[in-house]
Amino acid sequence: MTTLTGAAATGRATDEPAGARPGRARRRNRWFAQVGWRHLVGVLAVVFSLFPIVFVFSAALNPLGTLSSTGLVPADGVSFGNFGELFERTPFGRWFLNSLLIAGAASFVSVFLSSLAAYAFSRMRFAGRRVGLLSLLLIQMFPQFLAIVAIFLIFGTITGLWPEIGFNTPWGLLLLYLGGALGVNTWLMKGFFDTLPRELDESATMDGASHAQVFFRIMLPLVAPILAVTGLLAFINTINEFLMANVFLTNSDSKTLAVGMYGMLQGNERNNNFGIFAAATLLTAIPTVLVFQFLQRYIVSGLTSGAVKG
Amino acid sequence: MSTPLSGPGSASRTPGREPAGSRPGRGRTRHDATVSPTGLAIKVVLLGLTAAIAVWAAFPLLEGGHWVGLGLLVVTTAGLFYLYLGRRHVPAKYLVPGTLFLIAFQVLPVLYTASTAFTNFGDGHRGSKDEAVVAIQTASVRQVPGSAEYALTIATTGDPATGPLVFLVTDPGTGTVQVGDADGLRRVDPGDVTVAPGGRVTAAQGYTVLNIGQASARSQEITELVVPTAGGALRSSGLSRAYEGTAVRAYDAGCDCIRDSESGRTWTADDEIGAFVAADGERLAQGWRVTVGLSNFTRVLTDPNISGPFFGTLVWNFAFAIGSTGGTFILGMFIALALHSPRMRGTNVYRVLLILPYAMPSFAMLLVWRDMFNTDFGLINSVFGLGVDWFGDEWTARIAVILVQLWLGYPYMFLVATGALQAIPRELTEATSVDGASPWQSFRAVTLPLLLVALSPLLIASFAFNFNNFNAIYLTTEGAPFPADNPSNGATDLLITYTYRLAFGGQGAEFGFAAAISLFIFTIVALVSAVSFRRTRKQEEVYA
Amino acid sequence: MRIRTAGVVAALGLALAAAGCGGSDGNDEPAAQESAGAAGGKLVIWADDKRTAALKPFADRFGQENGVTVEVQAVSKDLQTNFVTAAQQGSGPDVVVGAHDWIGNLVQNGAIEPVQLAAEQKSAFNETAIKAVTFNGQLYGVPYAQENLALIRNTELAPEAPATIEDLVATGKKLKAEKKVSEILCLQVGQNGDSYHIYPLYTSGGGYLFGTNATGDYDPSDVGVGKPGSIEAFKKIAALGEKGEGVLKRSISDTNSIATFTGKKCAYLASGPWATPDVKKANLSYDISPFPGFAGGQEAQPFVGVQAFYVAAKGKNKALAQEFVANYTTKPDLAVALYEAEPRPPALTAALDQVKAQDPDLAKFAEAGKNGQVLPAIPAMAAIWDPFGKAEAAIIGGADPEKTITAAGKTITGSIK
Repeated sequence: MTTLTGAAATGRATDEPAGARPGRARRRNRWFAQVGWRHLVGVLAVVFSLFPIVFVFSAALNPLGTLSSTGLVPADGVSFGNFGELFERTPFGRWFLNSLLIAGAASFVSVFLSSLAAYAFSRMRFAGRRVGLLSLLLIQMFPQFLAIVAIFLIFGTITGLWPEIGFNTPWGLLLLYLGGALGVNTWLMKGFFDTLPRELDESATMDGASHAQVFFRIMLPLVAPILAVTGLLAFINTINEFLMANVFLTNSDSKTLAVGMYGMLQGNERNNNFGIFAAATLLTAIPTVLVFQFLQRYIVSGLTSGAVKG
Repeated sequence: MSTPLSGPGSASRTPGREPAGSRPGRGRTRHDATVSPTGLAIKVVLLGLTAAIAVWAAFPLLEGGHWVGLGLLVVTTAGLFYLYLGRRHVPAKYLVPGTLFLIAFQVLPVLYTASTAFTNFGDGHRGSKDEAVVAIQTASVRQVPGSAEYALTIATTGDPATGPLVFLVTDPGTGTVQVGDADGLRRVDPGDVTVAPGGRVTAAQGYTVLNIGQASARSQEITELVVPTAGGALRSSGLSRAYEGTAVRAYDAGCDCIRDSESGRTWTADDEIGAFVAADGERLAQGWRVTVGLSNFTRVLTDPNISGPFFGTLVWNFAFAIGSTGGTFILGMFIALALHSPRMRGTNVYRVLLILPYAMPSFAMLLVWRDMFNTDFGLINSVFGLGVDWFGDEWTARIAVILVQLWLGYPYMFLVATGALQAIPRELTEATSVDGASPWQSFRAVTLPLLLVALSPLLIASFAFNFNNFNAIYLTTEGAPFPADNPSNGATDLLITYTYRLAFGGQGAEFGFAAAISLFIFTIVALVSAVSFRRTRKQEEVYA
Repeated sequence: MRIRTAGVVAALGLALAAAGCGGSDGNDEPAAQESAGAAGGKLVIWADDKRTAALKPFADRFGQENGVTVEVQAVSKDLQTNFVTAAQQGSGPDVVVGAHDWIGNLVQNGAIEPVQLAAEQKSAFNETAIKAVTFNGQLYGVPYAQENLALIRNTELAPEAPATIEDLVATGKKLKAEKKVSEILCLQVGQNGDSYHIYPLYTSGGGYLFGTNATGDYDPSDVGVGKPGSIEAFKKIAALGEKGEGVLKRSISDTNSIATFTGKKCAYLASGPWATPDVKKANLSYDISPFPGFAGGQEAQPFVGVQAFYVAAKGKNKALAQEFVANYTTKPDLAVALYEAEPRPPALTAALDQVKAQDPDLAKFAEAGKNGQVLPAIPAMAAIWDPFGKAEAAIIGGADPEKTITAAGKTITGSIK
């Protein structure tokens, strides 16, 4: 990539490095047209994003720790008491670990399963392909609160036969989450597989590569950005999943963050616990941000070097 | 199965299948050369693991005599081995792993739930008739009037863990100790027993006294031990007290009815509604589950409470789903485009800050937003100096819930669009700008179509998700505002929250009815999705 | 793909495959421990989060004394429905803790069983509490705490307890005019109403929910919502609403009502014993009095609710569960300890007497609840909450009382079988 690419990407094919000096005003205008407005959009978006979060932040630092005493800016001073109380009163550390374990494992495995299926849906033609795709979508639409009864039935049987993967175990919940591995994410990935030129894998096949080699060696690296994105989305979804985890994990030590935190907001506890709840919310966001940081280079690097052209 | 479907030019394009497709199993020599040792090793390990797990899972099935389950396990395992050891059915190799989970934990629950739409399954009608009878009988056990309260000790004539159980009961009034088993009560010689001050027997000759730990291990036997007496039967109440009780109501198979021995009333089983009904129409609370045919469905169509506001709700439901999906997509894509420039500095920081809304637990943030919209105490009115009764007016409430969805959802679209933009070869956009196209033209001509190819499946999926976005409404407005004369259907109600209220708001949960409404909604969404899905075929074939 | 044939259990078995990769050695240990504990009997108790924390020490003590394992598990959301569903399928607990108004639904699903208490055990309880847990002539739970609404007032702002709601409004308006408070009364309404908190005013205005039959039980066929009394009551409530005096507002909700009071922005709070920890923390001088009714109206009757222990009908260890509920939770020291974890008035008279000395608030709450009505436990009550609350919110927001409450009454009678 040269400077040419940079300028070109913004749509202005200007490659005069230091031609005339048309005056500062014009340069500032140009800067705004090319970069400045982007920052403006970014800043506005950040403000929109952070507005409610600042509120949560100030609640977490609010020494009174109640919902109503919280404004946009902490008015009663700043304290980390809520964080201390959080670890003192609840097995938050334990919840945190459980969530990381379950969300990490579930997102990893489900992205893998999903990419397998997406590859098949995108690159192969077989009877029932489109019906299969549509069914994947429709099955997700059935209201979950109704399915809970059936989940109880299935896992009641499983707990009786194999308690190691039954109620109150992270493995059982993991299995349940993998049931949703094929779904929206498969659609998303299929869309991306579709954008990869066919010639890529065709030529590889010509060279004698097996379908597995095409998939693992050629396709997967190429869709790394979207694997990272779906991985992140799956991670976030699992960390936030609540409905199923709530019926699944009743043992205090086996709970996940979402379930444990929901418990803090029950009934009239809500106002009281809001401070520690806000603290917990902020801490919950940390692994997500870290995962994002970790995946960001995949998201950003991806295909920029022109590998697709081949 | 994996027969190539002759889509436009697709058969010849299927990788890995094309040589073998025409001659199944014949292309061996050529393919063997390409299987790498690592690939083979991984395959062996994975299949070995599958076998190991199947064996592990088989033991409890064997022990419990679950032959059907065992058969299915064997068939599935064998099927997997056949699939992955053979060379055919390539698409299946990629689809089966995820599909197995899908079937077990999504398809089966959905099918089960759908099947309940034809029953009266719900509170008061959850179990079988036998269970209802048991519940009625145990609920009617009353202490025989004027009978004594006994102090109870659980004992056995044999080993504490397995020996036959007896009750050693002390009448607190007289101090006499008796031993009881299924044959009845017998006196025990006072010289043979040691009685503690509270009246409980602590030791008895010929019997081993069980402590609470030992006794509780045999809880079920204790509960089932009923010692017949003249006035009724002696039963345990816990592990330290016994009482003489009698079941006032009993099931009579002759008349298929429940008879109350005190009042003489009878309630006859009505297998159409799944309840015991008296001659005067009084029902016993404990009913059972019966098949009711299509009556749940006809109720959806004929109940004016449901069909009346149905259309309006449906329209708003579409508006909500389209608004949420479209809004988040446009906003997310716009911001992604804005930040997608090599000359931008600090995109990393922007991105982290922008995904924060998505990183926060959504249920918590929905509740925070709900409070921010409070008329007198909410942050929004106080920051902007407004006095809007956000959730009190139809339109402001609708704007509010969509705004919240926008906030919650656009980071997702932003991320996906960022990923998609990265995947678009820059050379393509460069090419158009070299041709002198304006940024807008280049966006319209190159970027947007490519983005849509990648994202349109996602947009459909997102639409489907938002169409049923229960939490978005339930945790914010709960459907408010409601018209004064109809508390069951609010202005921001989606079909799903509306269903929830209808099915769970009355006299306990009505799962069967809820399932029927869900099937209706499901059909509508399926139709819409199927239609829009057809449109994606064209786009798909652009690149496929 | 012919996966259709590979039905349920096979799929489940295969599902293990993925879990197996994760490492089956990690979870063998807890499983082994559990089965070891089960040898001596295991008792599982479900409760909500708050009570789980309070119960744990006592459950542990019970376990140690008797050589059994006791697990107290918190179900954060939908405890009642999840209990019913789990119980039905045999994966539920042995004991569940919850409000007494669940009884009707739990009984119709055969989820709980009657508890046999000796006459002397029964007489140790407050009569109202025993009445609350009695359903169809059977005692279904052992109560441990009792609660009801009262009027809590900031005595610096309002030294005198108001005798009527009109007195309260007069004082509140004066304080508001003097800019000492911003709200006249903190009574939570919320966007969709709050039947529990409006009930004293509703009864004072002449409304009722269910009539009673000959035996004194609530009669689901006699619904009072939509009857003339309820219309009169809501006309009076409407006069206090947003278009009237502005005393009752939808913007005051469960999340901000107590806090607005502790923030000294209103002089009166309609709440129960659960509010006192907050009020004490806020360091203001307060007093508690019965919730006042309308001048010349009927008595304002708050709901009386009872928290109780229930024995699950399909628990795996029913005998132990009965032992725990009938013979252990009926002891005063447990009730006192539960009170200390959360200050709700104990239902055991002996326990109440013991704590009354150190906490004068309890007697005041008891006084305020003396004329209260036991919250109906019949399943039909479930049909009341939502429509009634919404009608309340709509009327407070300015809707026509007669039209609104008549419609609510129709919805309610329509959903009661």
